[in-house]
Amino acid sequence: MTSTKDTHQHDDDIGCLEAIEAFYAYLDGELDDPQSIADFEHHMSHCRSCFSRAEVENMLTRRMRESAANGAPKSLQDRLRKLMDEF
Amino acid sequence: MAKPDDTRAFFSQGVEENMDALYRTALRLTGSGADAEDLVAESVSKAWAAIDSLDDRSRFRPWVFRILHNMFISNYRKLAARPLASAYHEDSDEVLATLLNEQPDEFLVWWANPERQFFNEVLGETIMAAIGELPLEFRMTIVLINIEGLKYDEAAEVLGVPAGTVRSRMKRGRTLLQKALWQQARDAGLAGNDSRDGKE
Repeated sequence: MTSTKDTHQHDDDIGCLEAIEAFYAYLDGELDDPQSIADFEHHMSHCRSCFSRAEVENMLTRRMRESAANGAPKSLQDRLRKLMDEF
Repeated sequence: MAKPDDTRAFFSQGVEENMDALYRTALRLTGSGADAEDLVAESVSKAWAAIDSLDDRSRFRPWVFRILHNMFISNYRKLAARPLASAYHEDSDEVLATLLNEQPDEFLVWWANPERQFFNEVLGETIMAAIGELPLEFRMTIVLINIEGLKYDEAAEVLGVPAGTVRSRMKRGRTLLQKALWQQARDAGLAGNDSRDGKE
């Protein structure tokens, strides 16, 4: 693969690298500037490669959270509460 | 010396609120439920002993996660048969461009294919296994941010690194994870074995 991934850019558009960087920040809860969000969404509306990457990341994150949704087992809850009672 | 009641109440509430997240994180670190329980219990004991060092109570979460992380590094990593560190130079200016070029296009094409629906049914365990195989710095960063929802500055506090390093580790960790899943899909015959990665 070459660096052509950064050429899917319209005149009024940010590039792929900037769009992905902004998307990652958005996904991680680190981006709340409406203009920055609009900019990467606009880019992804016409860049299939970036759109696909964003889809992959969205899916992975969702599946990760679903799969890791287990809480502390009762044995640990009891152990910690007993521990804290002794503090 | 006995600690004030308000300190005891604050600490208990903080532990209760973070108990599940601490266990999940410990589980991803140790790979063993029993070891994870021990790690959390020992971390909570250590946290209580050090509670007077917590100057800003609003930072309880990163503070207690940092204790857990350091406890794992000190006492448990020798027991964990998992990758601990990589030789990756994480502060490269061109890191994102490099990572984008590393991601196989075939993975994206495969992901958009209808057969992904089948793979999604078993993907949860597969993802967790792939996370477990990541080197420690990427595994921990992904768990803290992607799963537990910590902010970059909180994760930086936990890991004792600058926020920029957290950002860099997230990018690298994501790429490694996608590549691992892509490889697993190919090994399981769920993706085209005749396609070339070309990025290795």
